[in-house]
Amino acid sequence: MPWPPKVFWVGLLIIYGTAVLGWLLEATVKIQKIPTAQIWYTSIWATFLAPLIVSWMYFYFMERAEAKKAAEKKEVS
Amino acid sequence: MAESVDPVVIAIVAIYLIAVVVIGYYSRVRLKSAVDYYVAGRRLGSVVNGLALQSTYFSPASMLGLPAYIFLIGYPFWWGMMAIVAGMPIATLLTAAALRKYAPVSFADYYADRFGDERLRWWIGIIVIVGSILYIALSLVGMALFMVAILKMPYLIALIITTVITMFYVVYGGMIATSWNAAMQAVVMTFAAIIAAIAIVWQLGGFEGVYYAALKSYPKIWNTPADAPDVPHLLSSTWIAVIGWFFVWHYGFATMPYTVVRFFTTMDIKTARRSIFWCTLAAGAFYVALQLIGITSKYMIEKYHPIAVAAGGNMTATQVLATIQKTYGIGTVTDYSMIAAVEALGNPVVLGILCAGGLAVAMSTAAGWAVVVNTIIARDWMVKLLKSKKAEERPIFYGRLVAFIFLLIGFIVAIQPPALVLDLSGWAFIVVICSLGPGLVLGLWWKRATRAAMWITAIVMFIVSMVAWLRAHLVLGHHARFFLDDILFGNPNALITPHQVWTIPVGFILFIIISLLTKPPEEERVQKYCVELTKEV
Repeated sequence: MPWPPKVFWVGLLIIYGTAVLGWLLEATVKIQKIPTAQIWYTSIWATFLAPLIVSWMYFYFMERAEAKKAAEKKEVS
Repeated sequence: MAESVDPVVIAIVAIYLIAVVVIGYYSRVRLKSAVDYYVAGRRLGSVVNGLALQSTYFSPASMLGLPAYIFLIGYPFWWGMMAIVAGMPIATLLTAAALRKYAPVSFADYYADRFGDERLRWWIGIIVIVGSILYIALSLVGMALFMVAILKMPYLIALIITTVITMFYVVYGGMIATSWNAAMQAVVMTFAAIIAAIAIVWQLGGFEGVYYAALKSYPKIWNTPADAPDVPHLLSSTWIAVIGWFFVWHYGFATMPYTVVRFFTTMDIKTARRSIFWCTLAAGAFYVALQLIGITSKYMIEKYHPIAVAAGGNMTATQVLATIQKTYGIGTVTDYSMIAAVEALGNPVVLGILCAGGLAVAMSTAAGWAVVVNTIIARDWMVKLLKSKKAEERPIFYGRLVAFIFLLIGFIVAIQPPALVLDLSGWAFIVVICSLGPGLVLGLWWKRATRAAMWITAIVMFIVSMVAWLRAHLVLGHHARFFLDDILFGNPNALITPHQVWTIPVGFILFIIISLLTKPPEEERVQKYCVELTKEV
């Protein structure tokens, strides 16, 4: 069965982990009521930085794996 | 009316439109074949394609609709916005890289090949047409609203002008022109949103000022369902609703036709992956800016808008918008709230940049959908299914004809839009994702996905999602109410399910069940369109 690479699951963990952790902290300790807090953790981190880091991981690690594989192939031949 | 046409605003917008014409002209010189028209000759680099992806994916539903929704219900929607941007990297490995490896021309190609049935192009085309009409209409609404802000003219005349501009732009350029222009438009619209947000944050004295301005406009804005009964709004009153808003647009980037086709236009799989990084960068910045504008728009309008100031500061933001609605004959004036917030800054340079950005976001989306629908009809239906010799010999002519017809239909819908632009986009998302998403994602990643499951899911979920959205909207008063609330619970507010988002998991479950109950697909087909495509994505 086709299966996405490991880095895919790490990315999902960052994205959904952020959302679930945010909801838990909002529901329990009401973190969003700290002035400006929600701007930082939902806007700057969750909307901008987290997806950007994941999108970087998704091309960087895939390309690195491909380069490694190509080098191994070259060595064998 | 205290407003007048500002030459600075017009000059900035004119510069933008001249840039569109120049890029369109030079792109047209390069338009030599049908592949150029449909998929930009498959020679776009990662930055251009990534920016084009961003501007195509984001429509007036984002730029106007998101702030309008915040204005209307006083709920920040930040988790939902995170979900939209976070859906982009997920698409990289879920569908983008595999589909680029496959390299089709049309959105329907994959379905026809993977499930071994050319007739699927008919039904997929019908679903795409529904999405196209909704999206083209909302794009034209958005453009017309910005035109009202620029030229202070009646909405209907603004709509006619913007439809004509978009027709010339799409009909003559095709995917090459729309790609290069869309990349430029991404820069303009992102820059516009950031400039407007910085100006507002500056005016309010930083993030703290933004926080308290939002709190003053909406005392419950920072509450969650845990604060019940003091929730911001009924539509965000339960965790099911909050999670529902998160997922409405989340998987769109991986499965909606107008973004999926942009995975076909890159040079190779590596460029496809990298282009999503650039897209995410611009998209994240764009949304952060819109979020800040959205939560402060009510405060800005009431305190600084020229109409409110002329009335001695005694008008509510809703009254200001009602005055604008009456003056210009706008159908859904809440969509104007973001523009009004920037008008309140009293800075024509910022307003000019915002209007140029607004036209950019609307033009690129209308163009993206027009190209998708003309590929489906002129190529898939006319050439592939009806074997039309004429359409085969003159693909660009027929493509343009279809684009023209759909822009005309979009224009008619946009005269009196059936809902706010964000609602129209949410509807299109859910209808397309729940009926076509399972076949695309599971077709790639699950060997057992069958033709019968594809047909049944596409037909059943299309009908269910259309009926559910329409019944909730027309009978229960809002699409966010579960469509059977009154029948099952005797209370129209019993269960809040934004845009009937439950149809997406139901679509996937239905697809899996039917696949397991029907004959497995041929091994050769599975190997070619499932195993090989997802290897090393």
